[in-house]
Amino acid sequence: MADPTRPLIPHPLALIAELTHRCPLHCVYCSNPLEMVRAKSELPTSEWIRVFQEAGGLGIVHVHLTGGEPAARADLADLVAGARAAGLYSNLITSGIGLPETRLSRLVDAGLDHVQLSFQDAREEKANWVAGANAQSHKIELARAVRKFRVAFTMNLVVHRQNLDHLDEMISFAEQLAPDRLEIAHAQYYGWALRNRAALMPTAGQLERCLSIIALAQQRVSGRMKIDCVVPDYHARFPKACMGGWGRKMILLDPAGYALPCHAAGVIPGMTFDSVREHSLDWIWRESGAFRRFRGEQWMPEPCRSCERRTEDFGGCRCQAFLIAGDAQVTDPVCSLAPGHYLIENARQESPTADDSPAWVYRPNPI
Amino acid sequence: MARLADSARPRFAAGCRWGSQGENRVVLYPEGMLRVRATGLSILSLCDGERTIEQIVAALSERYPGAGPLRMREDVEAFLEALRQKRIVDY
Repeated sequence: MADPTRPLIPHPLALIAELTHRCPLHCVYCSNPLEMVRAKSELPTSEWIRVFQEAGGLGIVHVHLTGGEPAARADLADLVAGARAAGLYSNLITSGIGLPETRLSRLVDAGLDHVQLSFQDAREEKANWVAGANAQSHKIELARAVRKFRVAFTMNLVVHRQNLDHLDEMISFAEQLAPDRLEIAHAQYYGWALRNRAALMPTAGQLERCLSIIALAQQRVSGRMKIDCVVPDYHARFPKACMGGWGRKMILLDPAGYALPCHAAGVIPGMTFDSVREHSLDWIWRESGAFRRFRGEQWMPEPCRSCERRTEDFGGCRCQAFLIAGDAQVTDPVCSLAPGHYLIENARQESPTADDSPAWVYRPNPI
Repeated sequence: MARLADSARPRFAAGCRWGSQGENRVVLYPEGMLRVRATGLSILSLCDGERTIEQIVAALSERYPGAGPLRMREDVEAFLEALRQKRIVDY
């Protein structure tokens, strides 16, 4: 029976499956939590496949197989087959390491729909420096292999102060590898990127030039390659509709099977997460306290509560509100209407560390 | 808009395919899903990489005799071009 005190719950559309936190790369802007799940706590194959079945039953359309590096799981082809059998569209988000053409071919046979490959830079030395690993040549090899198969191919380029000055060179590099889509994503300041924010934050000049370079490139490659740009939300007037709204579209499962409304939700004090080892995905979506906490508009403070944009951006990102303003209940400080907006303005002015040798911290591997 | 060659054979781009949402047929692609209405569905169902644009328009003109073939060709091209920009259709 409908409970009038509870908001209507739409059905979820996407499942983000963090298969493992193990990764051969150590990117300084990794979105994984600072405290990672250990290898021995990872969900086994059969549990993932059961969860995919439940996801299909819930009306979920896309499953994003991510990590860490999902290819670090020896059972990846079985998981892809499980996702296809559940009627899901599968997207592999990979660093490209551990995925030679023979293995990719098995994934395609198992029903993989889309490969999303991340690049750190066009220049090998710089790319490997950001990744903390010799990864670039493997990535290029995988990119060439992907185009031999009938799968969609997206190249993801994370941009920040250390590489924005040669963005045009990176776009040309992407064109040579011929992806269907190029996602130019500014580093988002969560997890390791927040730790390294001072070295990653673009200057105002870089940002302005970057937007015009992208607009020109979009015209040039139209019809061949679709270029999407994720603007850095610190520089926007209004916050992003984080995760399409809390508990509104997506479920993220961490490698141990705990369900989170978003990647970073673990940073918010007082959150408890339920596991697919103990509950069905359907129960978690409807009942888990973590999903109900910021669902709908009941929790909203002013200025969100009376704001016209509340149905577009849902008050922004709860994790960012906590990370920046120290309170997950307040308006995302990115919003120019937020009382805490000065904190973002201050962060934008952060004095850059010397560009040649920023003192950044690499993401380690879980034990 | 540049006219498509008569011999163009449109089809789904790699990694785009049919799926279902309840009773509706939808197009699945990397960023989401496309709910296509009646005419869109008729057009896309004919885009199998075998039929040429000329054959597709002929088949549609037979099914929807109200629209003239010239107008039909324009509409089909505009529809397909929008999907090509999204990298959902190739030709």
